[in-house]
Amino acid sequence: MAASISGYTFSSVCYHSANSNADHEGFLLGDVRQEETVSISDTQISSAELLQVVEIHHHDPCAQLFSFYDYAGKVSEESLNSILKDRRKNVIGWYRFRRNTQQQMSFREQIIHKQLTQLLGVPDLVFLLFSFISTANSSTHALEYVLFRPNRSRYNQRITLSIPNLGNTSQQEYKVSSVPNTSLNYAKVIKEHGAEFFDKDGVMKDIRTIFQVYSALQDKLQAVCGEVEQSERVKEKIQEEVNKLKQQIALRKRKTAEEERRLREAQNADSHSTPEENTEPCEGSPLSGITFPTPSAPERPSTSPNPPSYTDLMSQDDSLLPSSSPPTSAALLPRPQAVGSPGHPTPGPTVMGLGLGHGLGLGLSASSNPVTTPSTPYLGNGDGSSSDSLDRQAAGQEDDDDEEEDDEDEDSSEYENLVSEGAHLPMVSASVLAQGRPAALSPDGDAHGSQAT
Amino acid sequence: MNNMSPEVALHRISPELRPLLCSVVRNGRVGLDSTNCLRVTDLKTGCTSLTPGPCCDRFKLHIPYAGETLKWDIIFNARYPELPPDFIFGEDAEFLPEPSELPHLVHWDAGNPECLLQLVKELIQQYHHYQCLRLRESSRLLFEYDSLLEDPNYGRNMEIYAGRKNSWTGEFSARFLLKLPVDFSNIPIYLLKDTALDPGEDVALLSVSFEDAEATQVFPKLYLSPSIEHALGGSSALHIPAFPSGGCLIDYVPQVCQLLTNKVQYVIQGYHKRREYIAAFLSHFGTGVVEYDAEGFTKLTLLLMWKDFCFLVHVDLPLYFPRDQPTLTFQSVYHFTNSGQLYSQVQKSYPYSPRWDGNEMAKRAKAYFKSFIPQFQEGAFANGKL
Repeated sequence: MAASISGYTFSSVCYHSANSNADHEGFLLGDVRQEETVSISDTQISSAELLQVVEIHHHDPCAQLFSFYDYAGKVSEESLNSILKDRRKNVIGWYRFRRNTQQQMSFREQIIHKQLTQLLGVPDLVFLLFSFISTANSSTHALEYVLFRPNRSRYNQRITLSIPNLGNTSQQEYKVSSVPNTSLNYAKVIKEHGAEFFDKDGVMKDIRTIFQVYSALQDKLQAVCGEVEQSERVKEKIQEEVNKLKQQIALRKRKTAEEERRLREAQNADSHSTPEENTEPCEGSPLSGITFPTPSAPERPSTSPNPPSYTDLMSQDDSLLPSSSPPTSAALLPRPQAVGSPGHPTPGPTVMGLGLGHGLGLGLSASSNPVTTPSTPYLGNGDGSSSDSLDRQAAGQEDDDDEEEDDEDEDSSEYENLVSEGAHLPMVSASVLAQGRPAALSPDGDAHGSQAT
Repeated sequence: MNNMSPEVALHRISPELRPLLCSVVRNGRVGLDSTNCLRVTDLKTGCTSLTPGPCCDRFKLHIPYAGETLKWDIIFNARYPELPPDFIFGEDAEFLPEPSELPHLVHWDAGNPECLLQLVKELIQQYHHYQCLRLRESSRLLFEYDSLLEDPNYGRNMEIYAGRKNSWTGEFSARFLLKLPVDFSNIPIYLLKDTALDPGEDVALLSVSFEDAEATQVFPKLYLSPSIEHALGGSSALHIPAFPSGGCLIDYVPQVCQLLTNKVQYVIQGYHKRREYIAAFLSHFGTGVVEYDAEGFTKLTLLLMWKDFCFLVHVDLPLYFPRDQPTLTFQSVYHFTNSGQLYSQVQKSYPYSPRWDGNEMAKRAKAYFKSFIPQFQEGAFANGKL
């Protein structure tokens, strides 16, 4: 058996009790209902539990003691009727308040309870006992309450009385009481203003609106899903194309590299004092730097974070170069570098070549370590990586990657590179110039047929 | 709030309820054990804490019953002093007396100071009936009860406490408190007047505890009111025979009763015998008597002379004279011991028979003195110094 009392009823009883200067008693009105809980478990054995729930809705305080019983504790039915009137059928129990006493039913209470059970015809009449315990110095007062059902066996008499929503409602759910609201005023107001909130079916209008919004969102979401799917497919196609093209580029690069090597060998056979040895002893041949990216290009995947260098692109595609320089010359174009980035030593000779007779310009360009940034129609890579690569090359990041892969003795200091480039420029220029290199990027950033990033 | 003196309790209680409580604490004796009076503790109030005192209107009443102390809560309402009180019967939650059996409750009269006391007495009576009913759980003990009830000597002065059944072992215990119908009226007054407390009624109570329903563990105990105990010779008088196994109260109690009666008789007789003895000695020794106990007749001192040798004889008569022999102490009037006392010799065994009457005893004593004195004289001269 379980019992519950609404918070306001409980507080009302406490209020009446605490304000009385003697013992206080009254009746409890409410409902008793049976709850059946059927629990189903994996063993397929369902068990039904019957629980009797006593709900206390109201209370009816008695004006004075001994109002419906005499000294001997005999209950007078007439007095009972005059107190309860038509509420008699709602009585489910009675209560008593006494200060500074034990939580036990007293002699008279037991006698009265027996008679009330009989007279009211409630077999499980409950008795709620309040007691106020105060400490000797009145510093602490405790209100204790116990709910008894004295008609049961002696050992089963106390029932826990729960007060819903008495506690931390931020943690627990706020429970709605099942106490029926019998207020006429309330019913009237609700009837009047109900149409604003409820539609003809009794469902709150807001609920419908919200549901409509929800449906609309769902539809839109479905549509977007379709679009996403389509764009994904397009992207897939383009990605495939890009991969193919990259493979082609790599292939072409390899071919041009081989051709150049043959050419170089042929040249080396002619001139014995090759300044290239002095220029970049660390690199071997001035062209080797240029060729550096080539072997590495096929290694790189098409969508790798290290997109092919400019020189790779330059060497593989004539259209990249607005100038009429042969593809090989494109390979010799200095790789674009941002100012301040560790410079690739190889652009040294290429810069010379680009000077085309402008020694100063060359020198200038060399000192400032300019780079040509060839225009690349490959800006769009499908995944945008190439443009990033261009940017990064301009920023000099690509150079790092290339150099790291190919050049073991890479010099990380930009200034050193600059110096080395400047020193070696005049030496190389002769051999480079012979090849008719296109104009190099002047220090002030003018590109000769190239684009600066 | 325990062991509160009655006056403190009366001071704290609400003035309108004071007369009722007064008669309870001052004159309240209920039950057989009237040496313990009712005690009041745990005075509390039913008014709000802001009410100025004294306004206590509920308390705990301690009632001695059958060797136990019942602690009942009595609840009044200070604001409505004309209303009868309510009771909580402590641990006896099942005790529910019929209100019709409590006339002082039905016709409660707050103006009568005795009303509460009378009500408590009626409740005790009902409680007794309730306990007797509980005896039905054990047929053996019920038999004991019924058999005692039939005997008018014991039936009316009985308190039963049927103990709580031990829910684990199912054991049932009970205690019978019986007032023994022994007549103490003839005990000499001198024996009774020495007690410091107000003796009250002279009563002997026999408490028999049955620790189990089959009466295999029975513990009897005798309680005497202090004056009787003193009159009968202290706590040694309380030795009673053990409860015979397989025996029953209806046989045992009269046994104890008889024992006690015999003891009392002894004491009374002893008194008379002693008086007779002293009288005989007085008549025989006449002027030789120095002094004697004229109230209890327990002592007698004689100054005698034999061949110019004077000596004192102190006669100490025991409580259970003539069963027990009087002690004779001879004392020399000339000689001292090393410790500065008069040289004396004590004689406990000498020709004596309890069957002699006073005269005979006096004669024999005289003869004994004559035979013993030479010996004593020698001893005195030898061991004492002048």
